[in-house]
Amino acid sequence: MLISLQGITRHFVVGGETVKALQGVSFTVEKGEWVAIIGQSGSGKSTLMNVLGCLDTPTAGSYSLNGHDVQRLDDDALATIRNREIGFIFQTFQLLPRETALSNVELPLVYRGLRPRERRERARRALDQVQLSNRTHHRPNELSGGQRQRVAIARALVTEPSLLLADEPTGNLDSATGEEIIRLFEQLHQAGHTICLVTHEPKLAARCPRAIRLSDGLIVADGPGREVALGEAPARVAS
Amino acid sequence: MIRVDYFEGARIALRSLGANRLRTLLTTGGIAVGVATLLAIVGIIQGLNASFDRQLATMGTNSLYVAKRKFGAGQDEWQEARTRKDVTTEQLQAVRAECTYCSAVAPNLWFQGDVSFLGSTITAVQLIGTTEEYIDVSSYRMAKGRFLTYADDADQKSVVVLAADIAESLFPSSDPIGATVRIDEHPFRVVGTLEKRGKFMDANWDKAVVIPLRTLRQYWGAGKSLVLIVGVDSAANMDRAVDQLTGIMRRARKTPADRPDDFAINRPDQLLDLYNKLTSGLYKVIVGIGLITLIVGGIGIMNIMLVSVRERTREIGIRRALGARRRTIILQFLMEAAAVSGVGGAIGTATGLSAAKIISMITPLAADVQVLTAVYGVLFAAAVGLIFGIWPAARAANLDPVEALRYE
Repeated sequence: MLISLQGITRHFVVGGETVKALQGVSFTVEKGEWVAIIGQSGSGKSTLMNVLGCLDTPTAGSYSLNGHDVQRLDDDALATIRNREIGFIFQTFQLLPRETALSNVELPLVYRGLRPRERRERARRALDQVQLSNRTHHRPNELSGGQRQRVAIARALVTEPSLLLADEPTGNLDSATGEEIIRLFEQLHQAGHTICLVTHEPKLAARCPRAIRLSDGLIVADGPGREVALGEAPARVAS
Repeated sequence: MIRVDYFEGARIALRSLGANRLRTLLTTGGIAVGVATLLAIVGIIQGLNASFDRQLATMGTNSLYVAKRKFGAGQDEWQEARTRKDVTTEQLQAVRAECTYCSAVAPNLWFQGDVSFLGSTITAVQLIGTTEEYIDVSSYRMAKGRFLTYADDADQKSVVVLAADIAESLFPSSDPIGATVRIDEHPFRVVGTLEKRGKFMDANWDKAVVIPLRTLRQYWGAGKSLVLIVGVDSAANMDRAVDQLTGIMRRARKTPADRPDDFAINRPDQLLDLYNKLTSGLYKVIVGIGLITLIVGGIGIMNIMLVSVRERTREIGIRRALGARRRTIILQFLMEAAAVSGVGGAIGTATGLSAAKIISMITPLAADVQVLTAVYGVLFAAAVGLIFGIWPAARAANLDPVEALRYE
């Protein structure tokens, strides 16, 4: 079991009012699974993604990732977990504009403390994996949207994380390019990577083996992607 | 891991500075101006102090000045001193006879007059009336000819010894010895010339002529109170000499036992105290102004760092998401601030030192910057950068990564 969430809640105080973004979410993810997290905007899926990515700490509940009790860790330890266990892929790519593709991919290894030679070698291999070995010295503004997202995926892969966390990875891409990226995810899934993918597109979620639907901070459906995303069969509601 | 923090911090800092060249340049300029101002000020102060020390040395190192009043006396003391009896030739005789620590004693009386030779005239020349011993107790040294003798004074001879500037001006090419100059229309025969001695405050020792005391009094009147210049046999005996002289003077002046001294025994080092008293307050103020300039530069750094943090909010979010710790982010921004202020400090040091040099060349102010001061300047600038960089850096490190990633 790679991920285990137990009774996760997350409350924000905004202008004196408490917003309950997550109201008790529990589920587990096994190694090698590909899970889509879907829901309307405001359903809490972004908050859940931040909690999963150790960027945010839950108000209550317990979260264990690859054997680490995340809610007990301090800021430095969380930074280390993000560096070692998680590969982020964002809707807006989040590349550093002044750095080349290669430097961008190297960045997580810098924070891991690897020597430049080894960083560069591993970054090259990661770019190879996403078929961008001929773009290593281009800056983000010299790359197409799909290429940028592939650089971001290479950056997520370079640390060999236990979990790939993707937030609307095709949201800023046209449908053909989006399809390319989804194919890449399918390949990564087949290669054994664990993937959590947050999306509001039912079509995309339908292609995932498993999907979890959130609504008002609660899980309302958890089952095979097609069924949960397209509502083809009655969904199994989480206990 | 720590090594990586520093190395990466420095790399990012340099890259960011390079990416905003104009901004970096302006901020660096602010610090440079601050450091330059401070160093120029300190340089001039140190120069003035050194020059005062040199001037003080022209008073003679082992000399005491016995006079009616204290050097550098305040207004009240001055008023009181006006009513005192003059220092007279009789008191001079007493000191000469009784002082055992004194190697030589010379009287001094000053007037001002015009000195001319063959149509060229120098006005407002210091006329020093004295005796043979003066050459031993003053820091004057003979250049040519001879100094005054007892006979010159006893016979009230019209002979004169010229100080360096007078000799040079009136006799640019010829030998002055034996020539006759006119001092306020009285003819005087030149018997010797003196080497350069320097200045003390606004008094130019080299724009002076030395004549026998009695001759001076004969032509210019008895004048004021004498100043007795006493050479003490060794520096170790200065205090003993002061005590002995006090006793001799009180007896000679018949000062009643219940009255305080109605004369003063001045030591050149008193003047140093006076100088320090007069200038230290002023120096503090102008150094304070220099510091303010530097602090303004520091605020410039803080301002630009805050802008830099805001501009790079998203970058900070990305770095945090990828595993950068707070410490790494703080280091990144602190190094940026330290680099700007360090370079600014170095430029400022160079500018400040040159400014001090230029000021000393085009104005009468002396400038003298010690190496240590320059080192302090650079260190101080770097410290300013770090101090003013801490707050923006801490703000950057404490950004919520979720918020930072969302920042447009």
